[in-house]
Amino acid sequence: MSPRARRALRIMRHRFVVAPVAFILVVAGWNLYVAAHDDGIITGSVRTSDGRPASGVEVVLLERDFVNYQEKYRTRTDADGRYRFDNMQVYIGQLEARAPDGTRSPRYLLRLWFRAQNTDVPPLLLPPPKS
Amino acid sequence: MTAAPWLARKRTREAALAVCFLLPALSIFFLYRILPLGWNIWLSFHSWSPLKAAQFVGLENYQEMLLDDEVFWESLGNSLIFIGCSPVAIAAALGIALLVNSDLKGAAVYRTIVFLSYPLMTVAVGIIWRWLYDERAGLFNYVLRSAGVIDQPLPFLQSYDFALLCIIAADFWQVLGFYMIILLTGLQSIPIHLYEAARVDGVPTVARFLRITLPLLRPSLFICIVVGILNSFTSFDLIYVMTNGGPGHATELLITHIYKSGFGQTRFDYAAALTVVQFLLLVALTWIANRLAGGNAGALER
Amino acid sequence: MKRSPAWPRHLAMVAVCFLMLVPFYWVIKTSLTGENIYAYPPRIIPVEPHLFNYVDVWYLIPFARYFLNSLIVTSMAICGNLLFNTAAAYALTKDFPGRRWLVLLFLSCMLIPFQATIIPAYLITSWLGVLNTQLGIALPLLSTIICIFVFKASFEAVPKSLIDAARIDGLGEWRIVTRIMLPLSKPAIATNVILSFIWSWNAFLWPLIVTRTPEMQTLPLGLARFMSVLENTTGSLHAFVVLVLLPGVTIFLMAQKEFIRGLTSGAIKG
Repeated sequence: MSPRARRALRIMRHRFVVAPVAFILVVAGWNLYVAAHDDGIITGSVRTSDGRPASGVEVVLLERDFVNYQEKYRTRTDADGRYRFDNMQVYIGQLEARAPDGTRSPRYLLRLWFRAQNTDVPPLLLPPPKS
Repeated sequence: MTAAPWLARKRTREAALAVCFLLPALSIFFLYRILPLGWNIWLSFHSWSPLKAAQFVGLENYQEMLLDDEVFWESLGNSLIFIGCSPVAIAAALGIALLVNSDLKGAAVYRTIVFLSYPLMTVAVGIIWRWLYDERAGLFNYVLRSAGVIDQPLPFLQSYDFALLCIIAADFWQVLGFYMIILLTGLQSIPIHLYEAARVDGVPTVARFLRITLPLLRPSLFICIVVGILNSFTSFDLIYVMTNGGPGHATELLITHIYKSGFGQTRFDYAAALTVVQFLLLVALTWIANRLAGGNAGALER
Repeated sequence: MKRSPAWPRHLAMVAVCFLMLVPFYWVIKTSLTGENIYAYPPRIIPVEPHLFNYVDVWYLIPFARYFLNSLIVTSMAICGNLLFNTAAAYALTKDFPGRRWLVLLFLSCMLIPFQATIIPAYLITSWLGVLNTQLGIALPLLSTIICIFVFKASFEAVPKSLIDAARIDGLGEWRIVTRIMLPLSKPAIATNVILSFIWSWNAFLWPLIVTRTPEMQTLPLGLARFMSVLENTTGSLHAFVVLVLLPGVTIFLMAQKEFIRGLTSGAIKG
């Protein structure tokens, strides 16, 4: 290897070069990941207290408004008890399932790593219906 | 003969070049050091507001400062307390420097850890220490209450007596590393053969320290003292973040008083007078420290 | 020859280091904890640690904006320092009439602390029309006297024969500086960069005075501003502090030698 190439390699291995380059690579990689996964798709399912999928149930996404959570978006579960939100520009919120008879599942705190991250949340469990 | 004019032209060319090269730095210093100092002095003798033109009022501003302004005297006292506490920090740093300097394995790691607090943003240091002093969840209250020393949490930063000491402690933490590095450099420049000769002569360790180390450390100690004085007059960041002047004016320093008069009350003329007094005090204190260190910035005779 | 045992000194140093690191640990712990941070008694280990406070900080605070402002100001300060200080130091190594007075002038400028100039400096900046801009913040930081003398000492150590040879080769003055003197003054360059970096990155009072709108604020100002806004029961403020401190600490750890050498040479020459 020529002396010039050897010298260039030594400079490149110096910590003042390696550290910023590594940092830039990490930042670029992270941004690429975010760009690939930021459609804001939130999916999940709703189950009744006996573990069966609950269809036709309304699911509400609450967005945080500094201190409180305000209801923002609604959707309904399909026949398999699954629901899907599209293009949700949130990074923190709550999900709640509301059965037609008024019972509500406990609120699930949704915390994402970046705004509009595509996630699949654990199933929301509806409590037993009021008798 | 054409030698003389040619020489003159070369000298002027050299001088012109020098002026060119010096111009940027000189203009910055002129704009931001010399001109402001002169302007401050001029402004302190006038009454000026952005609405009307300046009027010469002589010593009126100084009169108000010295006779009517309690905050001025309180901040002066606070600065002096601050300065009074810096020998403690310097002594502690000297102890640490001595420990690190003795052939200890991993001294570099210790040195890094102690010095880690110095390059931090003072604002961040203020927030960290404000959280440590917090009444409800602060570490100090927790330790004191767990140890059973006190029953009720102490409002560190809201008490008239302790607030300034608490801020001094936070500054202590940050500046300890700097003092240590300065003293370490000074320690490492002391020739070892002096110690060897003293040990051969049977001089005990304490006397070795007092007779050899301390006098030869004079320049470094002088630097530490000057930095301590400067710190005590200019710790704006810590005070702004931790107490903003404190309960009442218990932690007010001259610099915060200047800031509040100049940019809070928009009394630029009064703030200029305060600045002039602060500057004179700084110069006087540095001069006194110089005299105490034996003149010549504590430099050693060879 | 008997030496005193090492372990008591190690113990003392470990104790000192522990005390110095406690504030760091406390802040990091608070930024990671999942519970109400004002709960008493505060736990030593964070309860339910999570990193979502950092996500909160990222979206609640215009961190990128503050970081960019700080970066611009610091870059301008470092570049200005390297340029102006090199030129001034080179000029000071030459012999010209009035040189001693100039050196004396510089030394006396060092006696004027920055805090003695804030009011007129503010008025000058507003008269120049650069109030509330990054240039206005960076302007007083573009040159420092200590660094000039560091460069001067380094330039004076360059053997005259090299300079004369270069002049004979026909190199212009500025080329002499860049091709001959600077490559031989690498420690001085490192000192300059480090010192100007610290002073511009951590500057608080001057940007506080010069900026009028939140968009132009630098990191320390952002920190102070959000201190009151983010006083909720989560560790967001502390996450912000950690994020702000991270660049400074990383750069320090990477460039320790240059840091320490810069400070000692600056202080000793000061």
